[in-house]
Amino acid sequence: MSATLSAYEGIVGSAVIRQLRRLGEKLKGTRIVHVNSTREGGGVAEILEWMIPLMTELGLNASWEVIHGSGRFFEVTKSIHNGLQGHSVPITGKDWKVYEDVNARNFERLRPALEEADIVVVHDPQPAPLLKLCERRKGKWIWRAHIDISRPFRPVWKVLRTFVEKYDASIFSMAEFAQPLHHPQYLVPPSIDPLSEKNRDMSPEEIEAVRNGFGLDPSRPLLVQISRFDRFKDPVGVIEAYRMVRKVAKVQLVLAGGGASDDPEGTAILEEVMEAAGSDPDIHVLLLPPDSHRTVNALQRLATIILQKSTREGFGLTVTEGMWKGKPVIGGDVGGIRLQVVPHHTGFLVNTPEGAAHRIRYLLHHQDGIERMGTTAREFVRENFLLTRHIREYLTLMLVTLRDPRANFIQV
Amino acid sequence: MTPFEVKDCALLGRMSGLPPAFNLRELRERIAVCGENVLFHHFCETTLRGTFDNPDYRNDFAVWSKLYLGDRVVAERLGILDPYSFPSLGELRAATLDVLDERLGESTMIPWARPGDEFFFLESTTIVFDAGIRFTQPSRLAAFIRKMTNGSVYYHFLEARRRPPLGVDDFTAWLKEDEEANRPYIQALASVDFYFHTLPHLRHELGRVLTEAKVSK
Repeated sequence: MSATLSAYEGIVGSAVIRQLRRLGEKLKGTRIVHVNSTREGGGVAEILEWMIPLMTELGLNASWEVIHGSGRFFEVTKSIHNGLQGHSVPITGKDWKVYEDVNARNFERLRPALEEADIVVVHDPQPAPLLKLCERRKGKWIWRAHIDISRPFRPVWKVLRTFVEKYDASIFSMAEFAQPLHHPQYLVPPSIDPLSEKNRDMSPEEIEAVRNGFGLDPSRPLLVQISRFDRFKDPVGVIEAYRMVRKVAKVQLVLAGGGASDDPEGTAILEEVMEAAGSDPDIHVLLLPPDSHRTVNALQRLATIILQKSTREGFGLTVTEGMWKGKPVIGGDVGGIRLQVVPHHTGFLVNTPEGAAHRIRYLLHHQDGIERMGTTAREFVRENFLLTRHIREYLTLMLVTLRDPRANFIQV
Repeated sequence: MTPFEVKDCALLGRMSGLPPAFNLRELRERIAVCGENVLFHHFCETTLRGTFDNPDYRNDFAVWSKLYLGDRVVAERLGILDPYSFPSLGELRAATLDVLDERLGESTMIPWARPGDEFFFLESTTIVFDAGIRFTQPSRLAAFIRKMTNGSVYYHFLEARRRPPLGVDDFTAWLKEDEEANRPYIQALASVDFYFHTLPHLRHELGRVLTEAKVSK
């Protein structure tokens, strides 16, 4: 159950909530439909889970639709996803046909909602062909790219572009992720919900119960990486870094993540990780069910240092979550992690397992730095990366899209 | 006095369509031709944009020159430019180009950024709306400012300087309705070196100087 807007007043202040209500009044009754490809697992589903009820509370007529597909469809869309992030992936004409056919079947089911909507926000590549199919659309359509497509594998982008360039606008998390397109390209970084199960405060007893449940030693430093078992998150590189640190410090490592229903590669990567971990009792590889939000919350709070050693990354919400728990983050020097982790200020950016090992050792030697960086990180998240800022930007985006997409100044 | 109507604003950033700059010369070329909205965004609106950093400089050109070109000399010269001290954005652009031309003339090698660290030229749309708050007593200004959003502080104290009467913030313009009686408040607002504050700091500072002015009034 999501919290109501007033529940956030204690965290962000009443002025911020009042601001959202005033903006919401300007959009009262606007029909907005979000479409993505999974209801659980991954950052997009998490964002939509809180965004829909809060937009409804603000007076918008908001709904969330999910496209359904076969295993083959999700294998293809995973390849598209990897291709957009720069991997050379073979996608045949038949694969693209599967992609379009599944979208066509979903369109028939979603047609009434999509045709009537004032604004449709289509998230990521999976449902992108829906626009082409919706010939009798009345509203504005926006493509929301959550991933880094700055250096895509060109053959994949060339085809996907034919679907997305017809949208009225697109949204990217950062300027660095955008591709040149003819429509307005807005920039909206994602955010976290401070009252969600994954981020809300926890009692010490609850946290200790998770520690005991996984057999973690309270007297030794704990390194935690939370993420899907995905090659781009480099979990094997994290184990390499851990082994380098273990030569001098008795640290423990938790690699925890869930699978997502639209990610068929997860099982294979998990096997690779298990093999790399071997029989080391201080490496805890945890495949968590999708609803393990409180477990993830506790693990992040138990961490001495949060790791997110990705080699490609969208925004990296697990970094934001770690910072909200007041922890320094050692992250890969890629994507949105670069936006969030400011070296020596909120953590460190690294490029290799060696770099990660070096910074883990550095922080273990500078305990005061762990505390200082953690406090700074939490305050930056409070000011800029909580859902209240995210909602404000979406409301602003809707007002701009419905009135004048290229205006510099709009009085409402 | 007429009631002060509190407005609020929200910013939505977007790509400007200009190609990114990979080196100091490209930065100069793009600044020479970019729209004024782009210039305004990188000098003035950065303060409203979400960030995880509290950079040394308040404009994006200076921050990028320091962090990604590694040219601290040009960063310092760009960093001290106060956009609100120029009568127009055209003159701000000319001053910025002077700094860049001077540095390009001094340099034997043009500083460049590695791929992924290029400078992206952005602009934004500002949506302005009524915050639904009114007050009439200047003595309550400090209390109201303390409760304002970053958007309201930005709109009334910074963005206002772009609107007639040019160079004057909305609080001062309102206080001037009774200039004699409100002189301590007007002087207090004028004493704030506002460009180098973040918005939360600016809100705190405005509240502080107005409270002190009230005490001494």
